Order: sequence, then C-alpha cells, then structure tokens
Amino acid sequence: MKTKIIVALLTAGVLCAGQQALAHHAFAAEYDSEKPVTLTGTLSKMEWVNPHGWIYMDVKQPDGTVQKWTIESSGPGPMSRRGLKKTDFVAGMSLVVKGYQGKQKPTLANGRTLVLADGRSFYIGSVGGPNDGADKQ
Amino acid sequence: MASILPALEWLEGLAWTTAIRESNLGYPIMETSHVACIVAFAGLVMVMDLRLLGLAFARTPLTRIQRPLFRWQMSGFFLSAATGLLLFVVDPLRYYGNIFFRVKLVLLALAGLNALGFHLTTFRSVGRWDEDRLVPATARLAGAISLFFWSAIIVTGRLIAYNWFD
Amino acid sequence: MSQAYRESLWLFAVTQALHLVAVSGFVGAILIVDLGLLGWGPARQSQSGIARSAQRILLWTGPAVLVTGIPQFTTNALRYYASPVFAIKMGLLAVALVFTVTLRRRVAAADGDRLPSWVPKAVGAVSLALWMGVTIGGRWIGFSE
Repeated sequence: MKTKIIVALLTAGVLCAGQQALAHHAFAAEYDSEKPVTLTGTLSKMEWVNPHGWIYMDVKQPDGTVQKWTIESSGPGPMSRRGLKKTDFVAGMSLVVKGYQGKQKPTLANGRTLVLADGRSFYIGSVGGPNDGADKQ
Repeated sequence: MASILPALEWLEGLAWTTAIRESNLGYPIMETSHVACIVAFAGLVMVMDLRLLGLAFARTPLTRIQRPLFRWQMSGFFLSAATGLLLFVVDPLRYYGNIFFRVKLVLLALAGLNALGFHLTTFRSVGRWDEDRLVPATARLAGAISLFFWSAIIVTGRLIAYNWFD
Repeated sequence: MSQAYRESLWLFAVTQALHLVAVSGFVGAILIVDLGLLGWGPARQSQSGIARSAQRILLWTGPAVLVTGIPQFTTNALRYYASPVFAIKMGLLAVALVFTVTLRRRVAAADGDRLPSWVPKAVGAVSLALWMGVTIGGRWIGFSE
C-alpha cells in the first residue's frame, strides 16, 4: 500500500519535471509560442461555434497580395462572458488579431487578442497558451 | 450509394441545431452530460469485466453482480448514445470528417458484438460456473476484449477534440 | 524539432484520454457500492465482500487518476488558480475523499441488520452526488475560462 503511494508520487514528480518539455501541451505542438503574429485585415467569416470559434480573415501583404488566415478562438461561452457578441462580427469589417502562428500550417493562428474597429479589445484565447499577459484584460 | 452529405448539411442548417452549436450553455451542458454518462456506464462495465477476469469480486457469484447492474448499464448506455447522437446532429459535418469519430463508431460496433456474442453463448451456461473464482476461458476472453474496447472507445472519443488530420 | 513537438502533443492528449479511462474505472468501483447501499444493486449479503474488492480497485485507479491528471494541472496552474470551477471541483474532491474513507467505509462494511435502513441509503446517495459532482466539475473546467 505504502509502496503504491510512493510509486504514484514519484511518477507524478517525473511527469511534472517533464512539463518543461511538454511546454504548453496541446498549444505547443500546434502553435509556435516563439512566433507571435499581429494580423490586420478584414473579416471574411466568423464561426461562432462550440467548442472553439474560428475567425477567417483576409490580410493584405506589403506586396499587395492577400493572405487568407484562420484563427482559433475560444467558444461562445467565454467570449460572451467577456462582452463579445456574435453580431460584433460583420463580414468585411476591419479587425486586428494578435496570436501565435501555427507550426505545420503557416496561415493558421491561435488567437489571443482581438481588437475591433471601434477600438474595443477582447481576450479570445483558449486554455493553454503562453503567459503573455493577454488574458489579464 | 447516395452521399449523406446533403442530409448532414441540412441537419447543420436547422435552427435548433445551430442554436445549440452557438450556445453559451447548451452545448457545454450536453457534452458534459455525455461524458458523465459514459464514465458511469463504462465504469460499471469495467468492474464487471474485472469479475470475469477474476481480478475483483472473485468471491461473489457473477450473476449476483451482473443481474442488478444490467439495467444501470443499459440505461447508462442509452443515455450516452442519446447525448452522443445529439452532439453529432448539432455539428454533423465536423464529426463526419473526423477520423477518431469514425474509429470510435467502429469500436462501438465491435464492443456490442463482443457483448452479444458472450450473452448468446458462454453466458448461457452461467449456472454451472457462476460461483467459480476462475470462469471459463471464453468468458475471461470476452471480459478482456470488453475492457480493451471500452478503454479504446473512451480514448478515441477524447481524441475527437484534436482535428490533426483535417 | 517539430517531430519532438508532435510527439509531445500525442503524449499529452493520450495522457488526458487515459485520465478518463482511469476515472471510469474509479467511478465504476464507487458506483457498484453506492448502488448496493441505495438498494438498487447487489443484494445486501454480497455487499461487504463487494465493498472490500471495490476498495482495492479504488486504490489502483485512484493513483492512476492522479498521475494522469497532474500534467493537465501543471500546464495551466496559473489559470486554474483563479478559476472558481476548479476550486469547487477540488473542494468536492476533498469532501468526497474524506467521506469515502470514513463514514462510507464503515457503513459499507457494516452488518445489514445493525443500521436503520435509511442510513445506507443516505450514505449511498451522498457518495453518488459527491463523486459525480467531481466528475462533472472536472469536465466543466474546460468550459469555464
């Protein structure tokens, strides 16, 4: 009995130590916390759905081409609690999204901060992102 | 064979499925209920599989455990399936394209076949080996298969959340 | 480099999934005793033997639940610290653990005739509510940012 508890605690300890490697778990393998992005563009579509929302935006590049970005956001519950509404998203509107770029998909990002044209700023991140202070809002 | 995609698109476009998909509370409640039902149902199946394997409750006759628990296992299964069906209907295209969801459905069918096979064959003679600590080999095998499948079903179910293979 | 990250995602996701498997085993062992206490499960005379066996299952699956649950906690520790849902879940867990190792253990092992019939029923109902509360609270954390 005592051995079992000791083994369990030791395993837990090893797993905790391994956390440095796991970094931000699910976030770290899909998104690069070393590659923050700030995307300025227009909204193509917003999927206001559970369990995660999806923001599709057109981002004009310096050379004139348009890149289509997909941004993962939190779900309707957390976004509503922070004061966002589905009606705040209108196709064609200007917006700024700050987040972290995807590792395998360069035009995918995990959204952290959304700034609307009227200046309002919202935290749209999900559990597991890096501690960059974005969620202090 | 006709594609079911138009039917799934129709389901996705319904007002009530859209409302749940976009809800603040409705979807979380449904999904949490699904998880709670599965945990309870799978848990009861697992403890019975442990009896079949002779790893637990070995001094209790199998039927003294199986008979009273059966109705709870069945209720738990039906509630899990009902909440699962609701979850599917609310976002059908997403699940249709998800590899883990498809694998989970196959595993469910296999688990069901294992249970049915056991009940129709080995279990028929339970009167003879009910009190044995070590039940017939085919019954032990059914228990082991069941334990494996239900664990795999839970794992694939959880992995549905990760859309790595889009 | 990206290979290592890919593997770490698998590791975390599978650990999280195994957490659910361990939780199911744990809850199954809780339920078989609680259903018996409520009079909806195995007959009275089998119950103390079942309770002893169920306790062994709890002692194996409990640590498994803990070990597979910790990675989720440590990667989100700062955010969980402020979460009321996490606090409620942990509070319920603490109450459930104390209740299970004290009152419930004595009632489950007791001789059927020595207790008034409402006592096992009440203990079974409270245990069921507490442990299902912990399970539900655990899932709800993901929805409560």
